[in-house]
Amino acid sequence: MLSRKSNRISIILACFVLGFMMAIQFHSTQNSFKYSTQYQRTEELSQRLLATEKERDALKKQTEKMSQDKNAGLIDAQLIEAGATEVTGPGIVVTVEDSSKKTAANENANLYIIHDEDMLRIVNELRAAGAEAISINGQRVVATTEIRCAGPTVSVNNERSAPPFVIQAIGEADTMENAMKMRGGVMDTLSVWGIKVNIDKKTQMTLPSYNRGSDFKYAKSVEKGDTQ
Amino acid sequence: MIFAIISLIIGAIVGYFCNVTIPGEYSKLFSVALLAGFDAVFGGLKAVFIDTFDNINFLLGFFLNTILAVLMVFLGDNLSIELYYVVLFVFALRIFKNLSYLRHRLIKK
Repeated sequence: MLSRKSNRISIILACFVLGFMMAIQFHSTQNSFKYSTQYQRTEELSQRLLATEKERDALKKQTEKMSQDKNAGLIDAQLIEAGATEVTGPGIVVTVEDSSKKTAANENANLYIIHDEDMLRIVNELRAAGAEAISINGQRVVATTEIRCAGPTVSVNNERSAPPFVIQAIGEADTMENAMKMRGGVMDTLSVWGIKVNIDKKTQMTLPSYNRGSDFKYAKSVEKGDTQ
Repeated sequence: MIFAIISLIIGAIVGYFCNVTIPGEYSKLFSVALLAGFDAVFGGLKAVFIDTFDNINFLLGFFLNTILAVLMVFLGDNLSIELYYVVLFVFALRIFKNLSYLRHRLIKK
């Protein structure tokens, strides 16, 4: 039966068509992933990511150029004063931590935690001792910086942070340390309540630049001799 | 037997290098057609063993079954009746039946 030529041809034909269809189906299944919505979405997102990264790089370059232009007219002292650049130099690191003392039943727990007033006193003392640049928990303290109570945290440059507070100050390290440890001074007062103040002298440290925009809406500068 | 397998492989190679892809919405129909083709070939194989192989019948069965299966699934899709599973079930059942028959035959020999 099978030996007849036409039978053989018909079987070959059928098998050929079958194999052809199998291969196509296999191919389609392999490729169907490419046409799925998830795949397309991934493609689209990665494209967008690339575009955004390019834009970011361009903007970074632009800000770099602009900050160079902006700082061009200022002298070094003005840059440090305004916090426009990172500064480096010797100084001290003051770490302030909440008290670990147990609160007595009839005492106010508020006495044992750090307040914005304590921070202000420390910063004030450091400035009096000749600190040239100060930062609190990575926020540079400049002329417009506030140190303010914000619930259980302290807000500096509108950035809240919780204890422990790390205050870095660049200046004459010995003078600042002595100012802090003065009898009846800041550390003396705080240690009564068990608040831990730790002072660390550093020969080299870097303070970050002021990272907020300085956009003055109301204050306008007046040229010399141009008073109203 | 051997030339059937060889032609199957050649068909597969040709199909693979043709680089044709079925769009997603038709892949369901195509898979049914593929199964119908399998069924027809196994049916033919069985017919060869019991010496009732008829050339015209085999070819007609191969193509008509395929087309009919595709039409059925297409119709079912449009009438929202899941005939796809029915067709798959019937063809798979027949393939297994034919295979088991062939196995019996081969072992007896």
